[in-house]
Amino acid sequence: MKDVLVIGSGISGMSCAVRCAELGLNVTLVSPFPSERAQSVMAAGGINAVLEDNGEGDTVLCHVEDTLRGGGYLSSEEEVKGLCERSGEILRFLERIGTVFSVDENGKTAKRAFGGQSHKRTYYCGASTGKQIVSSLIMEVRHFEAAGKITRRLWSCFHSGLILDGVCYGALIYDETTRKLETIYADAVVMATGGQNTLFGKTTGSTQCDGYAQGQLFRQGVELKNLEFIQYHPTTLVTGQKNMLISEAARGEGGRLFYMENGKRVYFMEDKYGEKGNLMTRDVVSREMFLVNKDIWLDVSFLGERLIRRRIPEVMELCRKYRGIDISKEPIPVTPSVHFFMGGFAVSLDHETNIRNLFAVGECASKYHGANRLGGNSLLAAIYGGMKAAEEIAGRAGDDKHPDFSGYAARQTQVLEEKGKTESRFPVAYIRDLLAETMQKDLGIVRNEESLDNGITDVDYYLENADRIQYDNSVMTYFNYSLTGILTLARAVLTCAKNRRESRGAHYRSDYPEMKEEYASSTIISYDDGVYRTRPEGNVGTSINTERCI
Amino acid sequence: MKVKILRQVTPVSEPYWEGFNYDGPPDISVAGLLDHLNYNDDIVNDEGVNTTRIGWECSCLQGVCGSCAMVINGIPALACETFVRDLKGNEITIRPLRKFPVIHDLITDRSSIHENLKKTNIFIREWQQSEDKDHEHQYLAAKCLKCGLCLEVCPNYVNGQTFYGAVFANDCYLVSSRNRNKISEIRKVYGEHFGGGCSKSLSCVDVCPMKIPTLASMSKLNRR
Ligand SMILES: Cc1cc2nc3c(=O)[nH]c(=O)nc-3n(C[C@H](O)[C@H](O)[C@H](O)COP(=O)(O)OP(=O)(O)OC[C@H]3O[C@@H](n4cnc5c(N)ncnc54)[C@H](O)[C@@H]3O)c2cc1C
Repeated sequence: MKDVLVIGSGISGMSCAVRCAELGLNVTLVSPFPSERAQSVMAAGGINAVLEDNGEGDTVLCHVEDTLRGGGYLSSEEEVKGLCERSGEILRFLERIGTVFSVDENGKTAKRAFGGQSHKRTYYCGASTGKQIVSSLIMEVRHFEAAGKITRRLWSCFHSGLILDGVCYGALIYDETTRKLETIYADAVVMATGGQNTLFGKTTGSTQCDGYAQGQLFRQGVELKNLEFIQYHPTTLVTGQKNMLISEAARGEGGRLFYMENGKRVYFMEDKYGEKGNLMTRDVVSREMFLVNKDIWLDVSFLGERLIRRRIPEVMELCRKYRGIDISKEPIPVTPSVHFFMGGFAVSLDHETNIRNLFAVGECASKYHGANRLGGNSLLAAIYGGMKAAEEIAGRAGDDKHPDFSGYAARQTQVLEEKGKTESRFPVAYIRDLLAETMQKDLGIVRNEESLDNGITDVDYYLENADRIQYDNSVMTYFNYSLTGILTLARAVLTCAKNRRESRGAHYRSDYPEMKEEYASSTIISYDDGVYRTRPEGNVGTSINTERCI
Repeated sequence: MKVKILRQVTPVSEPYWEGFNYDGPPDISVAGLLDHLNYNDDIVNDEGVNTTRIGWECSCLQGVCGSCAMVINGIPALACETFVRDLKGNEITIRPLRKFPVIHDLITDRSSIHENLKKTNIFIREWQQSEDKDHEHQYLAAKCLKCGLCLEVCPNYVNGQTFYGAVFANDCYLVSSRNRNKISEIRKVYGEHFGGGCSKSLSCVDVCPMKIPTLASMSKLNRR
């Protein structure tokens, strides 16, 4: 193969582009905005890896076991092993291209402990691991740009895939500067468009992650997987526009969660789970907070200003800047928030979707995290997936011929023009807000059949009306045409959640609170002209090495 | 409170000022204010006339992506980190960065930043620790958002010309400190595109949202 189209330029898209270029392929790297604006820059805590000289007795198998267990054994050992076996190589690659990792007193790359790990294995760059990795990857991509192997295209948004008879031949891209659709043919297309934040409005992540690409390609026959598994982060600070992540470090340093009753503090996590209650996993803490159903605070003030400044300066700064709260004197009001999507494109070991030559990597793909993700594993998976897809593509024979999609492109241009003339009282933004409200309400931390049915009814109604909604010419055209794809994805997520009648990992059903053997497999969902079908994937993961790793 | 915004429909159309009324609380960022003005189904300006949504760019909304750089009351800043409560007077003026071509309203095309770095081969490739062991300085330099605020205030930077500004100097420092084999190559392009042209007004240091010590980058690169 020769020409690869990578859509999305966060950490996964750039990793894929770099590996493709190293292997001699020509890459077009498409995104509306530069990589500095991608959600990847927000990752704070770190990236997991097992290095040979880790000094902790850690092994690849322990990392595999921790990942499988954290994910409720929905991923297979084979796929997770692939990821973990190359973590050391990935860390060395990041070091080689100049990532400024934090170092310990001996000058060795430093690591910290993260939730759900049997050994300390999270390498980090201060409180901005994602940003530091993005900066070094941008430089590496730039090298290949200068060498003519990677071409960046900005102001460009994915519109749809060029798919015929189960094979992908490229994509239609909307250029916001020329305001035109453009056909880009390629031997392989790699989707790297990130998570699905827009479905929920306010989340911890970026406004650029909207799930449109997943929704649109799903409509075109691409299968999605495990959409019901959405990770909530228990401690976020709510501002007018978003939910800002309060690092787990705040609880790690001794932070205590409480609510007020009759003028007294109730430390509900400690009451229920004992001394270490505040350190329970993200899903358990989030669920307890939801069930308490009261305003909740996180107190770190007893640490004193000096310790706070030394240990969690970024938390102090965030609270001061955005809410005027001095955390050395007062508690932080915290709320659980949607944070990470375990679900996305269903892909093979080589990150290919069910459509030939269409790949997916990073958070838009569902592969390693099963029913829940361990912190530090998604940056690793974003890089690994990018590399893996590139290597598979480079090893394949290309075909110079492709079907002619000019008729399809012309029809889509016409559709956009006609939609530009639609008349309705409501702009697209209105429906997006309604969708977020529905999803927050009906697909929250705790779900049940009734709320999910209500959600499905609402989203079906929005979908029925989506074609009549007024296109707003003062916003990006993409913002308008992406509505139907986003709504379709939301409908698919609700369907997956409804059909999993058990509780597992991040998916909790109050009407089915137990984990059930019959659901011990991933959910695959497909779409056929308005019909949403789910089926189990079939591969059931098992514990591989419990003894040594707990 | 009056909010005056310099608007422009397309890259080639004429810019114009449009006023809006804001009567919400002052405890809101300028990004929040723009969202507030855009939120209603019908957007109305301060003359009661229906108008279009105000275009602006955002992503992280918490000061780490650089999308929402604009000029607020004459000062280049990130909209998500600038709070109405801290602004003086009863009127807020907002305009796009003027050193870059406007795409639409407050959205500008800052791709020249990347293009300049590409033309001059600013990349590390192989980490080869140099004598500079100032880890904190390298960490801060790598936090650069490429937001363009330092170029907006720079008296010497003109888009499309050969002086590339503080954003370039800091990346030059980062590459030379992380790869000792590139030091002489980097010093050369640094001299051509920064060293000779900087008049040391240092306003770039004040506006940098990441507080990158540009002066330290310069002094290390100037050392022979
Ligand atoms: C606050 C926060 C903290 C986190 N901390 C950690 C951590 O410590 N460790 C960890 O492992 N993970 C962490 N994560 C998760 C991790 O950051 C993400 O999973 C990862 O960065 C995703 O990378 P990506 O390349 O898949 O997507 P992104 O970085 O989201 O990039 C997506 C790209 O696709 C583009 N795009 C989107 N839609 C389109 C379209 N329609 N057309 C064209 N382009 C499009 C975007 O512009 C962007 O360039 C954190 C996440 C958040 C929100």
